[in-house]
Amino acid sequence: MKELDLLKKDWQKNQNSFEQVSETEIYKMIHKKSSSIVKWILIISVLELSLWTLISVAFNTDDYFKKLKHDELIFYFKILNVFSYVVIFIFIYLFYKNYIAITTTSSTKQLMKDILKTRKTVQCYVGYNLAMIVLGLIVGFVIAFAYNPETIALKSKIAENGTVMAITFGVLFLTILVFFGIFWLFYRLLYGILLRRLYTNYKELKKIDL
Amino acid sequence: MSQNLEHSFVQQLQANQNIIHKICRLYTNGEDAHKDLFQEITIQLWKAFPKFRGDSKFSTWAYRVALNTAITLYRKSKRTIATIEFEGRQHFTPDIDYNYEEEEQLKLMYQAVYQLNDIEKALIFMYLEDKDYQEIAETLGISEVNARVKMNRIKGKLKKILNPLGT
Repeated sequence: MKELDLLKKDWQKNQNSFEQVSETEIYKMIHKKSSSIVKWILIISVLELSLWTLISVAFNTDDYFKKLKHDELIFYFKILNVFSYVVIFIFIYLFYKNYIAITTTSSTKQLMKDILKTRKTVQCYVGYNLAMIVLGLIVGFVIAFAYNPETIALKSKIAENGTVMAITFGVLFLTILVFFGIFWLFYRLLYGILLRRLYTNYKELKKIDL
Repeated sequence: MSQNLEHSFVQQLQANQNIIHKICRLYTNGEDAHKDLFQEITIQLWKAFPKFRGDSKFSTWAYRVALNTAITLYRKSKRTIATIEFEGRQHFTPDIDYNYEEEEQLKLMYQAVYQLNDIEKALIFMYLEDKDYQEIAETLGISEVNARVKMNRIKGKLKKILNPLGT
C-alpha cells in the first residue's frame, strides 16, 4: 500500500515537530497524582470491601437468638460467623494478590486480564455478601416463624387465609427484587463508565487471536 | 539514591519524549487532552521505572508502558471534544520536492488512521515506528502470525476509508 509507505516516511521524518517538555516540567509531572482507572478501581474496591465487611460484622444476631431462648441456634451462628471471617480474609488476600500483579510492563492483553481479574474478585465478594443476605432473609423468616412466639398470630392467619400468605410472600419477594435492582443499576453505572473502554479493547484483542 | 533515580529518569524521558508525544497525538484530539495523557504516561513510566533494569533500551521499555497507559489505564477527560478533523502534522515545512498531491494524500491518510480503534492504532503506531512483528505481538500479547494477519486487515480497512467506493 503506497499511501502507507508515504505515511511511514512522513511519520519518521517528523520526529521533532513536537513542542518539547522541559526537565523541570517532567519533575513536576512525576509528583502529580495519577488518575488512571487502576487507581479508581483500587479506591472503589477498598470502599466496597470495607463496607461489606462492616455490614457483616455489624449484623450481630446474638441478642435476637438469646431472646428466642434457643441456644443451639447461637452455636450454629457462631460457626457461621467464623466461616464468614475466613471468607473475608480469603477475599482480601486474593484482592491484594491480584492487585499487585497489575503492572504496566505486562503485555496489553495481560494487563487487561489482570485488571479484570482484580475486579472480578471484588465482584465475587459483593455477590457472596448479597447471597448471604438473601439466605439470611430466608433463614430469618423461617426462624421467626418456627421459634418466635410473637409471630404465632401471623402464622395462624397465614395458615387460614391464602391471601395473607400471598401478600406476605409477595412483599418478601418484592423487597429482595428491589434490593437487587438497585445494586444492579448502581454497578452497571459505576463500572460501565469505568470499564467500558477496557472491555471493548479487550474483546478486540481477544478477537485477533481467535 | 532516590534523587539519583529521579534525575536519571527525568533525563532519559526528556531525551525520549517524542515517543510519548506520538502516542498522545494518535490517541487524543486536542492540546489539553494531549497534555493530560502525556502527564499520565509520565506518571506511569515513573512508577514502573524502579523495575526497569536497563537490559533493554529505555525507549523499547517506554513503548510498552506508554501504549498500555494510552489503551488501558487512561480515562479520557471530559474536556476532550471529539473532532474528526485531524491535522497530523503540526509544523509542516515544505520540502524542496514539495508535492501537492502527496501532501493531500498524507492528510487523508492521517485522518484515516485517526478513525481506527484503539488496538488498531497501536498496531499501526508500532508499524510506523518500524517495530518488527515479534515486538508488536509481544507488546500486545497476541501471536506473531495473528499480528501480521491483523496488520493486513488494517491496511484493507485504511484502503476502504480512503476509497469507500472501491474504485
